Amino acid sequence: MKLPGRGRDDDELPLSPDRQVDDDVRSELDFHIAERAAELEARGMAREQAMTEARALFGDRASIETECRTIEQRRRSTRGRSVRARALRQDITVGLRVLRRAPAFTLAAILTLAVGIGANATVFSIVNQAILQPLPYPDADRIVKVTERHARGWGNLPYPTFLDFERDARSFDAITAYQDGVGTVLVGNTGYRVHGAEVSSEFFRVFAVRPLMGRLPLPGEYAAGGGPVAVVSHAFWRDRLGAPASLTGVRVKLDRDVAVVGVMPAGFDYPAGSELWRPLDGADQSLSRTAHNLEAVGKLRAGISPQSAAGELTAMITRMSAQYAADFDATGGIVVRLQDTLVEGVRKPLFLLFAASAVLLLAACTNLASAQLARGTARGSEFAVRAALGASRLRLVRQLLTESTLLAMLGAGAGLLLARGLLALLRSIAPAGLHLERVHIDGWVAAFAFVVALGTALLFGLYPALRVSEATTSLALREGGRGTGGPSRMRVWHALVASEVALAAMLLVSSAVLVRSFVNVMQVDLGFNATDTRMAQVNLQSATYGDTTPATARFHEAVLARLRGAPGVTAVGFANRLPLEGGNPSGGMLVEGKPMAPNGVNTGNAIYRVVGGDYFAALGIPVLEGRTFLASDDRAAPPVAIVDAEFARLQWPGESAIGKRVKPAGMDGGIEPWHTVVGVVGGVRAGSITSPFIPTYYFDHRQRVSWRSQSVSYAVRGPNPTALDGTVQREIAAVDPQVPVEQGALSRIIRNAMAEQRFTMLLLGIFALLSLILAVVGIHAVVAYAVAQRTREIGVRLALGATPAQVRDMVVRHAMRGVVPGLVLGAVLSFVALRALRAWLSEVTGVDPIASAAAFLLLAVVGVAASVIPARRATRVDPIVAIRAE
Amino acid sequence: MPETPMHLFKGTLDVLILKTLSWGPAHGYAVSRWIRQSSGDDLKIEEGALYPALRRLEEGGLVTAVWRRVPDTGREARVYSLTPEGRRALRMEVAAWQRYVDAFARVLETKPERALV
Repeated sequence: MKLPGRGRDDDELPLSPDRQVDDDVRSELDFHIAERAAELEARGMAREQAMTEARALFGDRASIETECRTIEQRRRSTRGRSVRARALRQDITVGLRVLRRAPAFTLAAILTLAVGIGANATVFSIVNQAILQPLPYPDADRIVKVTERHARGWGNLPYPTFLDFERDARSFDAITAYQDGVGTVLVGNTGYRVHGAEVSSEFFRVFAVRPLMGRLPLPGEYAAGGGPVAVVSHAFWRDRLGAPASLTGVRVKLDRDVAVVGVMPAGFDYPAGSELWRPLDGADQSLSRTAHNLEAVGKLRAGISPQSAAGELTAMITRMSAQYAADFDATGGIVVRLQDTLVEGVRKPLFLLFAASAVLLLAACTNLASAQLARGTARGSEFAVRAALGASRLRLVRQLLTESTLLAMLGAGAGLLLARGLLALLRSIAPAGLHLERVHIDGWVAAFAFVVALGTALLFGLYPALRVSEATTSLALREGGRGTGGPSRMRVWHALVASEVALAAMLLVSSAVLVRSFVNVMQVDLGFNATDTRMAQVNLQSATYGDTTPATARFHEAVLARLRGAPGVTAVGFANRLPLEGGNPSGGMLVEGKPMAPNGVNTGNAIYRVVGGDYFAALGIPVLEGRTFLASDDRAAPPVAIVDAEFARLQWPGESAIGKRVKPAGMDGGIEPWHTVVGVVGGVRAGSITSPFIPTYYFDHRQRVSWRSQSVSYAVRGPNPTALDGTVQREIAAVDPQVPVEQGALSRIIRNAMAEQRFTMLLLGIFALLSLILAVVGIHAVVAYAVAQRTREIGVRLALGATPAQVRDMVVRHAMRGVVPGLVLGAVLSFVALRALRAWLSEVTGVDPIASAAAFLLLAVVGVAASVIPARRATRVDPIVAIRAE
Repeated sequence: MPETPMHLFKGTLDVLILKTLSWGPAHGYAVSRWIRQSSGDDLKIEEGALYPALRRLEEGGLVTAVWRRVPDTGREARVYSLTPEGRRALRMEVAAWQRYVDAFARVLETKPERALV
């Protein structure tokens, strides 16, 4: 075998020490002239004359000297580079050969690294996309979300307040208000469920977006009444309109006929998921300054901070408050970078996962350090020979570092592959806010992986490298190349095993507690029962149904009647929004006999749901008192309402709600009749699975004269729910074939509501499992190595009559010297980690002794198991072979 | 850099140096003296021009140099020797030079049998 100690290394050393370039050139030329003069002198020339003659024969000394110096300098720098390149090439060749020669070690090391780097690259690519990368708009850091603070928290802007901001606020280059939602768009005779937005005139300026083809709405088309134009997304133009080359004559039907005048570039989808934008119709907007209806975004002027913009808005709101006291509830403006609002909900889980992946990487490093150390010792004799042959310590360290770097690079490659797989897996379960569909392994992620890999290489390569080079010269030769397992070396290994176990314990315990917390959260009583129920989101096209409530009501009654009689359907109903579906319709209410709130327009707030059919039966919401809506509660009958338990408890504590009267407040408050409460039903979780019950009241759609929402969700219950989809589709089409329907399991909205928790839980679970695997691999490797080192001692013991059981116990006991302190340290770390988590995540309630104990028990069992395997191998040592092995 | 005052063809000096060194390692002055003496003083080379040529050959890997004590004077000199690459280059240069001279000579010595036009 060729050792990299000497050999071609000679090329690094010049045979005589290099002179300085100046000296080198000058001395050479001096030598020539002196010799030439001597020659001339020998032929009889006088000394002085000989020197002059020699110089003359030489020519232009100064320019020759300069030229020689230039060439020499160039030569030396090239030589330096090529020597270094050759040394590196050689290190890499040797490194690869060494790695190839120990495939088991190499594979384990690469996989260990792949796990650490893969987990980190996955989390980093998500964090990178969600938090670090700016939104894909010009000057995205100046785009802000504008809301206002009011008595009950914060909310959207009322239309008149927005108009004041738009006219007077100086902090913005542009500010815009918009409303978005799902509606039906008719293209020809086909209806599509489309997410669209009505936007005010500055909208496209805020995002500095130009149409890919066509034009934006003209200023005049934003005037009251709204111009009959729309701009569509690239996908809508391609998939729904058939990608026409010209937009001339392209029209779609919303509430009326509109011309498609422009197509946005692909990828523009603000508000998220939008496919169609049209001018906001001011004539349609409530002029109340307590109707928080409009979302608003603005682009700050260069150099203006969100804080100072908020200051300006707050000052304006204070002035408005004095002016419109009767109909005003805002107390200040809120201005937040748009990007921050978009990642708000996912920030915590992401940082949690980032911490977990960092711990995992640390565990991987520890594993590799111990493995490298073990191998380094095993290779002690090889290094001793190299050192004896003259390889410098620096060179040996460099060789080991090169090996580590090679491993890290291979590991990083494998890790990136793993990250790709993990991302593909996560894409299906990630909460929508993360936009995982946009996450991919880009240059940043690759750079991150390689930087982490390099850092890791130094971390786990340097220490063993130093240890090895230290040990080799002094010990290894003397010990006949047997390597050493001295007490200090063993202490280092015990420390490494302890770290592995401690890190694994921390991850396992934290994950176990978090997972159990999440499971608890997911098992909360939602107040409704989603099993056996299908959901069908239905959109009536405004073009046909317009503002005419009777037509809408007729449609729904017809659908309900057909579905009630359909085979396999046990209950059917609908609501303007189902619980957890998002966007809870909440508003001011009036309760008869209650004092007005300070704002003077209502007595409080509640979620109101407009329902039809057997809504409560279809959702499995229990009726606690009184009755539900009946077929007889139609438009002609006396108006009735149903309240939930929370509503009843808050409004009429200690008495029955039946017979009390309520109605929604607001613009129609004057003409709205009182509704008599006829029933009390159980509360449901409305906003999120962790939110408290919010008071809710229900109306029958036939009695809500001012209700004109065209977007409702049906709930259809039956013993074989998946078979219901066809039925629902058919019956709705029988009533109106143009109405688009989107179906799915009702449990889907629950899954969506739990997406964030499920996502965090799954990733943590994966990380915990990976850390457990790392602990097993690490402990096993170290114990196996220790056994290999002690083969001779074990052989002697067996020869002297020790039983296999005694030997096994000895080895396991030895391993436990690392595992037990690791568990103790892990307990401390876990305790600290859990305290931090509890302060941070509301879901975590405490240390959770059951989950913690289970995690520790698992780890202890795994630790023993990992050491028993090599221990059993130790008992099979043949004493004769072992002693002769010397 | 001043051109050498005599009519050496480009690269000819390199060939002379390589040829000289093919007899064994030598310092610059020895190379210069050998070329001067073996050409019978007919080739008048400006002596300094030798050194950039030597350095360039060294840079190109055709010769190597070390500082060494020279036995006859006892002084240190930069002693050049031919590398295997240098030896190969010399062979090729000499062959090319020979072909060139032969062709040249043939043109000079061949008489046309009749008028060329």
